[in-house]
Amino acid sequence: MSVEPWQKAEIAGPIKAVPIKDPKALATIIKKYKKPIIIVGHLISKVEGMDLVEYIIDLAKTIDADVVVTNTLIRKFHERGFKRATYMPALEIIDRLRDPLWRGIHGDGNYDLAIFIGFQYYYEWLLLSSLKHFAYERLDTISLGPYFQPNAKWTVPTLPLNTWYKYLTDLKDSLTKSLRCKPREKNV
Amino acid sequence: MTIPTKRFRVRIDELRSSLAHIKGLEVSIGKIVEEWEEPEGPTPFPSVTDLRDWDFKLLRRYRPLYIPFCDLCCLCTFGKCDLSRNKRGACGLDIATQQSRIVLLACCIGAATHTSHARELVEELIKKYGRDVPMDLGTGIRVEAPHMRLVCGIKPKTLGDLEAALDYIESQIVQMLAAIHTGQEGSNLDFESKVFHIGMLDHVAMEIADIAQIIALGFPKGDPEAPLVDLGIGTIDLTKPVILCIGHNVIPSTAIIDYLERTGLSDSVQVCGLCCTAHDMTRYNKRARIIGPISWQLRFIRTGIPDVIVLDEQCIRTDIPSEAKKIGAVVISTSTKNCLGFPDKTHEDPDVIVDELVNGKIPGALILDHEKVGEVAVKAALKLAPKRVKFKSLPNVDEVIKYSKMCRKCRECERACPNNLPISQALSKAAQGDLSELAKLYDYCIACTRCEKACPVGIPIFSLISKASERKMKEEVFKIRAGRGPIQDVEIRNVGRDIVLGTIPGVIAFVGCANYAEGGRELVEMCEEFLRRNYIVVASGCAAMTIAMYRNEEGKTLYEEYPGEFNAGCLVNVGSCVANSHISGAVIKIANIFARRALRANYKEIADYILNRVGAVGIAWGAMSQKAAAIAAGFWRLGVPVIVGPHGSKYRRMLLGRKDRDEDWYVYDARTGEKVYVGPVPEHLFYAAETKEEAMVMAAKLCMRPNDTPKGRAIKLTHYIDLYRKFFGTLPPDLHLFVRTEADIPITVKEEVLKFLKERGWKERPTPLEPTLLEELVKRRVSA
Repeated sequence: MSVEPWQKAEIAGPIKAVPIKDPKALATIIKKYKKPIIIVGHLISKVEGMDLVEYIIDLAKTIDADVVVTNTLIRKFHERGFKRATYMPALEIIDRLRDPLWRGIHGDGNYDLAIFIGFQYYYEWLLLSSLKHFAYERLDTISLGPYFQPNAKWTVPTLPLNTWYKYLTDLKDSLTKSLRCKPREKNV
Repeated sequence: MTIPTKRFRVRIDELRSSLAHIKGLEVSIGKIVEEWEEPEGPTPFPSVTDLRDWDFKLLRRYRPLYIPFCDLCCLCTFGKCDLSRNKRGACGLDIATQQSRIVLLACCIGAATHTSHARELVEELIKKYGRDVPMDLGTGIRVEAPHMRLVCGIKPKTLGDLEAALDYIESQIVQMLAAIHTGQEGSNLDFESKVFHIGMLDHVAMEIADIAQIIALGFPKGDPEAPLVDLGIGTIDLTKPVILCIGHNVIPSTAIIDYLERTGLSDSVQVCGLCCTAHDMTRYNKRARIIGPISWQLRFIRTGIPDVIVLDEQCIRTDIPSEAKKIGAVVISTSTKNCLGFPDKTHEDPDVIVDELVNGKIPGALILDHEKVGEVAVKAALKLAPKRVKFKSLPNVDEVIKYSKMCRKCRECERACPNNLPISQALSKAAQGDLSELAKLYDYCIACTRCEKACPVGIPIFSLISKASERKMKEEVFKIRAGRGPIQDVEIRNVGRDIVLGTIPGVIAFVGCANYAEGGRELVEMCEEFLRRNYIVVASGCAAMTIAMYRNEEGKTLYEEYPGEFNAGCLVNVGSCVANSHISGAVIKIANIFARRALRANYKEIADYILNRVGAVGIAWGAMSQKAAAIAAGFWRLGVPVIVGPHGSKYRRMLLGRKDRDEDWYVYDARTGEKVYVGPVPEHLFYAAETKEEAMVMAAKLCMRPNDTPKGRAIKLTHYIDLYRKFFGTLPPDLHLFVRTEADIPITVKEEVLKFLKERGWKERPTPLEPTLLEELVKRRVSA
């Protein structure tokens, strides 16, 4: 479980992510937010050990999040009846998220948490960097991929794939349990 | 702006005196201004602020999105300043401004590189052929230098005339670099304006470089049927001594080819090249071979095949001397920009240099006399080749397995790999004798060898990948059309109307380097998709080579399958990096030749025309260098959007439009002066796509322009809808923004689209007859 950038030379500046080793702790963090969005990159299609589309749909339902899919996987989300997923290129969603006046995908308000999963390491590194500098007052970020991402506010540490799958499962279980016991204000 | 060669100018329409009768004389200090019937436009030799208002119009619509690559600034002795989260550094700079400053620095490096290249070419060619080589680009090309005419307001007639523009560009680069100094420019938008300025100049410099070599060295002159030439490692005749030239400046290579011809040795020595020098070698002599793009440098060198490596300038790996040493090859450096610590042998006797090189008395030679380079390279190759037979191979399979067994599975190689390739897994299989996983990496590896440097036990990982892919390498035998240079005026006349009205769906230019995130095949797939859809497809540089490196089922490359005209469904290879100026030159010519807009020093009007009417998009899928940044910037100022691949995000700034902000998408109708909403066309100016599918859909979308006729818009929408549906499965969710009237809707999907539009509450809207962002054009038009 490494807590340094996966690509060694991609060293962030003075502000760097806090790695959250315990999925329950990450669940506790996530449930504090009222309006999360999950941003899904194309690499989840290359993950073979887990059905990540299904996972993200479940996660989104659990935490009442909008989902932006930045690639052709949007078809799979729609095929599974999850119409809440929207296609938007990654750079466009970042551009919107940095705008304090933007009203969100469905026009019901901007987000307070962006959860990233499924991107090339360097590409996500830069997307998160933009939000770190230009949206930090309103928006926090979590990197849910299997690599430590220094420009997120919180990140999963670098994990072997099998450990990562377990981490994700435990995270969702924790969220499901805790939100069932104590629904978020928004879900009531 | 004072012009370097025209500090003082007098124009006399008519003067009668007792001594003489003078009519139509124009004199400047240092130079007689050439006769040119076209009146001079408003911005000859523009300073950075002359076109600032145009830049700001673009930047109001296409706002910079900064994606900082570094939170710090470490350029001065205040030390590292933490700029994160809007903190300002010791000099007062914030992070947005720092990013734009670094973008400008990158573009200055790029433009300086092209300008220096152009200067060297012009000086060298003048020395060899004289200043009076006529500006003859063939009978089909009368607008010989669209960039020079547009930016500088001058029409070159000879090789020597190119120098005035170079003087101007050099002075501007110095100014732009000065602006980067601590405590100068403090506005990110002004930095961006300067980025545009330097980009514009970069295209003038590239144009100078390419037309100089075309007119003096006899390159193809806009020939759509330029010959098909050989490309690939497999095309090399291994029985001959091999001279490999790497870089961008073709002069040393031409000297080698000339020497071989003079001495009757052309059949005895194989000359080949890598990167843009290779393009230009085949434009000079079709017997030369192209090995491949920039990322083939170590692939080829580690095969041990080259006997002599001749380096000129730009994009050359700086570890070539040590790599050459490993294979017993010798290196000759030919550029003052790339001396490599070698002893200067410019004035030494050629036979002495050959002896010193071949017998290992010197590590390499710096030779700045190109004629001498030709002689030394050939003689050294002939002497060295018989001695180097033992070097001409990769490690054997047993060695691959032995090295693979040394792997500790620490994954440091993967952590260093830009593409995060599964190297450990491949080594694991190789240790068991199965090299197939290593071979798979070949197509995705960009040959940077960061993996090797990171490996704690010193496994030569890249050599193992190469060995595992040896068969694949030997089968690299392809055909590419030699770079044809500029687009002919008659071709512009033939297609200009269809491009401007939209009935040709667009011009897609595949340009740039070979830093691909998912291998080169993606580029070929994109290229083929647009060719089949009848776009005009143009290519240059490393991208043009990559396009040649895959064959269809009949064994043909796209160059063999598609004609080389500038026309719908054709594939044009303009040539090396500097030939990119012909792509931007073609869009300028559309405004000038087809639409008859005045060209001379009339930048804003031409750029405005292109932005609003010419559906052209650049795709730099593997863009890597600072030169690529400068080239892109030149396209931006002209209103041509550029898409880069995911690694291009590291340029740290995008220029994005916001389709949800209606107020950003109004233009003037020059005929009435009314402001009209035209929709988000083109939506972005600079954009890093995550996947090839996203890039293709975006490129089709970015080809739309306010001026499209209903028929043209319907054709463009056909492709946008079709590509979106192909990859995403539905109609594009933003489709309503691009349909102006029912006539815009493609007939084949009319019912479905109308239903979609009804759900969105869409209403027809007027289309401007003459869309423009320039108020001055409205006034001119209305008053007329």
